[in-house]
Amino acid sequence: MNARERILKLFAGEEIDRLPCFSGFGNVTTEGLRSLNQKFAATHLDAKMMADAAASTHKLFGFECGVVPFDLCIEAEALGCEINVYAHSEDLLYPTIKKKLIHNEAELDIVIPSGLTGRGRVPLMVEAIKLLKKDIGAEAAIGTYVLGPFTLAGQIMELNDLLKLSFKKPDKIGKLLDTMADTIIEVAREYEKAGADYISVREMGATSDVLSPRVFKSLILPYLKKIFAQLSVPSVLHICGKTNDIVPFMAESGARAISVDQKNDVAETRKKLGPQALIFGNYDPYNVLVAGSTDLVRQTVKKCMDDGVSAVWPGCDIWPTVPPDNVRAMMDEVRKYRRS
Amino acid sequence: MATDEKRAELIAKLRNAVIQYDEDASKEAAQEALTEGMDANDAIFNGLVSGMEEVGRMFEAQEYFVPEMLMCADALYAGLDILKPHVKQLDLGVKGSVVIGTVEGDVHDIGKNIVKMMFDVAGFTVYDLGRDVPLDKFVEEQMKTDSDLVCLSAMMTTTMTGMKKVVDDLRKKNPNVKIMLGGAPVSQDVADKYGADGYAKDATNALKDAINMIASLKKMKDEVEAQKAK
Repeated sequence: MNARERILKLFAGEEIDRLPCFSGFGNVTTEGLRSLNQKFAATHLDAKMMADAAASTHKLFGFECGVVPFDLCIEAEALGCEINVYAHSEDLLYPTIKKKLIHNEAELDIVIPSGLTGRGRVPLMVEAIKLLKKDIGAEAAIGTYVLGPFTLAGQIMELNDLLKLSFKKPDKIGKLLDTMADTIIEVAREYEKAGADYISVREMGATSDVLSPRVFKSLILPYLKKIFAQLSVPSVLHICGKTNDIVPFMAESGARAISVDQKNDVAETRKKLGPQALIFGNYDPYNVLVAGSTDLVRQTVKKCMDDGVSAVWPGCDIWPTVPPDNVRAMMDEVRKYRRS
Repeated sequence: MATDEKRAELIAKLRNAVIQYDEDASKEAAQEALTEGMDANDAIFNGLVSGMEEVGRMFEAQEYFVPEMLMCADALYAGLDILKPHVKQLDLGVKGSVVIGTVEGDVHDIGKNIVKMMFDVAGFTVYDLGRDVPLDKFVEEQMKTDSDLVCLSAMMTTTMTGMKKVVDDLRKKNPNVKIMLGGAPVSQDVADKYGADGYAKDATNALKDAINMIASLKKMKDEVEAQKAK
């Protein structure tokens, strides 16, 4: 059973030989970039470089997937936001939104530009998925991601305003989230056509660190449901931070799997959702995988599996400077684990 | 001077306006406090700030979340803008000036703004660099303003590592400056590793830390008053 088969079987609910170790988010390493002689900033703007960088973690460490893109601006850019890629920087910086689309309440009523999937870097993404699939797609699962409707809304307008208006004008924000959902569906369908094996929807703006479970359920969940009903490849709903109170809603969203980070008590989540639910998580990709010792990596990964994750999977993007020995230790710990 | 009864009523109005995120009520109560001849410091600290302390408690108890807290902050500012010009300068024995900002690559500034508000209220001079701030700018601004404290914020793991460079550069240029880190991915461990003086674990703790700072300022203020009374 190779990595791709293992992951597809997991999504299909079929028997697998062991838990997979993969991710729905960026996992490019400086080790990988070095092997390709590439700079991080350049990888965001070139399909071939992006695909090569994404494939390198599988090639170097046997990590079981390849995931593009690496930043969170693709959909916002296609909608018309200007982005900053920090091309001047030698540091590991991710693109951010430079110019928002909505500046006040009066501008909330936006329409999706025609030819959305031909705009910004969506065509580049389609190309990158195809290249990545051609390169490692026979052995590794090819993943990609889109933002969730609330998180995307937070990219195209001030988060401050979005949060306050969610409270003061929930009807208006609901309408905006519906437009965001349509945008996300359109983009995700292109990725499906390009050959993605699975798609994660990153809705980290809706974490219980920020929003009450009540608002999550009434304002955001309906649009997540709309998205998942339209996706045909296996889907994952990711929310980081505090999620213990909203995991039942996450499971209700229609996503095939849910993804949580180190703040979630997975043993409790497993109890709540039952043995069949797919729960991905939940190691700390920075404090454990990058900054921790190999011992800490092994202990943490083992605990995730003991707690009942369905796949060993990071709580966020893996920061590129991860020590190669830590990735090897993680892979080894997952391979040798036998659930008691 | 307002009577004790009137004072208590106005304090309660200011406090409730913040808790119930009612900007208009906050403005009205602030105006009334001035009309009644109430001490502006009294109105700010025992009214507005006391309300914000309660908001902090409600946030920790998960009765309030970030949207509510932002609206409470707006209500606090609405009253503060009216009262602040009437504050008598107090000698607190500390020279409070602070450089604050979110590091390059990161455009999240809500946590930073809440901490900033607390410094504003406490009468610190705040040099707010905003968000997505080039790393050199922190050092430059600290040198230019000779501030006591530099607060760095990062909401994402992917930008947090930039804070190390700022801490190193600040230490090189000015070993005495205090440095506080904040933001979701930061931990005590990270703060120690990066060589910072303090850290605020998340929005809750950033707020708590800021409130603690104000609480100690309040205490200092009371001591100053007590000294004067002697």
